[in-house]
Amino acid sequence: MLNWIERRTGFVSMTKDFLTEDIPGGASYWYVFGSATLFAMILQIVTGIFLTFFYAPSANTAYESTQAIYHNGFQHFVLSMHYWGASAMIALVFLHLLQVVIFGAYKSPREIQWIVGVLLLLVTMVLGLTGYLLPWDLDAYAASQVAINLTLQMPVIGQWIQYFAQDGTTLGTLTINRFFGLHVWLMPAALIALVGAHLAIFRWNGPAGPPVADPRPLKSGRFFPDQIFMDTVVSFGIFAIIVFLSFVFPPFLDLKADPANATFIPYPAWYFLDLFGLLNLMPGAFEVVGAIVIPGIATLILFLLPWIDRSTTRTTGSRKFILWLTAISLIIMLTLTFWSQHQIVVQEQTAPAPPPPAAATTTTATKTPASGGPVLGAAASATAGAAVFSTNCSSCHGALGQGTPGAFPPLANNPVVTGDPNKVIGIVLDGLHGAITVNGATYNGMMPSWKGTLSNGDVANVITYIRGSLGNKAGPVTKAQVDAYKP
Amino acid sequence: MSNDHRGPSAYDDPGTPEEITRRTFMANATITLSGIIGLGLAIPIIGSLIPKTGAGAITWSALDAAGFKQLQDSTNTPVQINFTLTGKDAYLPEQQSPESVWGVKVSMDKFKAARPDIYENPKGNVPYPAVNMGFAIFSPICPHLGCRYDYKPDRGMFACPCHGSTYDNDGKHLAGPATRGLDPLPLREQNGKAEITWIRYAPTIPDRIVVSYIN
Repeated sequence: MLNWIERRTGFVSMTKDFLTEDIPGGASYWYVFGSATLFAMILQIVTGIFLTFFYAPSANTAYESTQAIYHNGFQHFVLSMHYWGASAMIALVFLHLLQVVIFGAYKSPREIQWIVGVLLLLVTMVLGLTGYLLPWDLDAYAASQVAINLTLQMPVIGQWIQYFAQDGTTLGTLTINRFFGLHVWLMPAALIALVGAHLAIFRWNGPAGPPVADPRPLKSGRFFPDQIFMDTVVSFGIFAIIVFLSFVFPPFLDLKADPANATFIPYPAWYFLDLFGLLNLMPGAFEVVGAIVIPGIATLILFLLPWIDRSTTRTTGSRKFILWLTAISLIIMLTLTFWSQHQIVVQEQTAPAPPPPAAATTTTATKTPASGGPVLGAAASATAGAAVFSTNCSSCHGALGQGTPGAFPPLANNPVVTGDPNKVIGIVLDGLHGAITVNGATYNGMMPSWKGTLSNGDVANVITYIRGSLGNKAGPVTKAQVDAYKP
Repeated sequence: MSNDHRGPSAYDDPGTPEEITRRTFMANATITLSGIIGLGLAIPIIGSLIPKTGAGAITWSALDAAGFKQLQDSTNTPVQINFTLTGKDAYLPEQQSPESVWGVKVSMDKFKAARPDIYENPKGNVPYPAVNMGFAIFSPICPHLGCRYDYKPDRGMFACPCHGSTYDNDGKHLAGPATRGLDPLPLREQNGKAEITWIRYAPTIPDRIVVSYIN
């Protein structure tokens, strides 16, 4: 059978050639990181291909289709594997890079292999960045907005990079399509082409072996099965960890992307936390240093490393400067990462608690006030208020409470709305005219009096809604408070 | 394939019997572990691809009043009646789409005689009166392969443009590749309005199997 196939295709001898490779000094667990990264990439490609069966890139469907994925157990699991697989792949790329640097394996004749590797690192980071937007939830939107706006730090070309990244002047449905095209087609295609080149060059040069002055007298080991066995054991361990994390800690989906939400604090993925921390360290005018200059110099150093390292041998003793540079860079990156993570935890603890999800708020019991007659619980009141809002208020204040510039103030992130309830009740009951200033902007429209048009109950409901939704987090207002209002 | 700047190949030396045993074990372990990984990937992926097959909830849609009036005033000539179908396509918001059905004035006795595909095939029968208030309402979908058929007044029959199945005014299959007549839909009167239920039956087969109520 094998002979029959071999005569017609040459596949058997091709496979044998592929598996036959001498490993100087023998197989080692030091050498597994490249293969493990390749395994993570294949995992990402397989799970990613199937996620495109369920995901639809557009502002009207990105979040909805992602939600549908979350509602299907198997699809959610495939998504979880893709989510954790991304982290695994980036972690492994860095470990692979670290191993190559420690072993000095980028030195002649492997300079081009190294440069292709650095390009692969960059493509992997772009894949992480573009994938982050696709679920189109609050976090995806806000974090991507920040990432795209950071390009503006670059003089002249920054603006054009932003236009190109967004496909226009704002982050919207065209951006989703562009990021989808980048994440699903262009970057994976570049990744596969570069990995092909990386592996072909690897086979041309052969494995570098341990960092000794002269590896030639070392006894060789076999790639198959010795090294492949180790690669598979490690890949299996990584797969087991990804499956475990996907079961126990699946990612969660925030509320849908809402440009008007001003209270949401976006966080980058963990592999961008070092850059995030660097940026936070830079005061105002120096932001460009954190956003562009330092990452740019670091990337340039990576590309030029084979020429920066002037030592003639790969031994660690002759390369102390590079190894110290690596260690210090690593410590800085890890410190920035953990410091940023700490800042985020602190910020989350001091920020007001987000409103509980709709299902949970129904536990707010219906109370009977002293004046008699049942009133709605806060959640039911807000639900009723949402209907009042969309019928009576949204045409001027916007469906998301974003307001109309110059005329009608936003209700989202408006301190008056979330401030003294009596003042809000007064504005709704009696109306408001004349110029007002909200968050530094002036509005000169006219708010009608809703007394007589809306019942006091509906006034309470709609105020409860605008104070607790649209990104606001202030407490409810009851009908009794509206009844008791005096100008 | 590679530069020839190294010492003797590890593959030149077959190794001791212990080494050969160890290599066989490693090769088998590699294949086994890869197989487990493949299985661990295949199970959730195949599971994720299993489609939902529910037909959706039964709803009633009001027929266009003018169209229904035209049917009431008709003789035995079929009338196309428009209505708005509220559909739900997966995670998309509910959408309203213009639809139409065909109605024909016919007596119960005449219809029973004309439609053996309903009354003589137990699996082709429908759990509601196919003629109500003296009218039969037909789904506008050809039971052959799901095209929209049209009425040809000059020939006095329904004809499907795709593969030429034809049906008489009572929906009886006359010629062409279809295996049953036109599908009757439930008709009722509610608050002075004629309402129908949209039902899509499985095409090609002589039996009527509900596929969807919503689109």
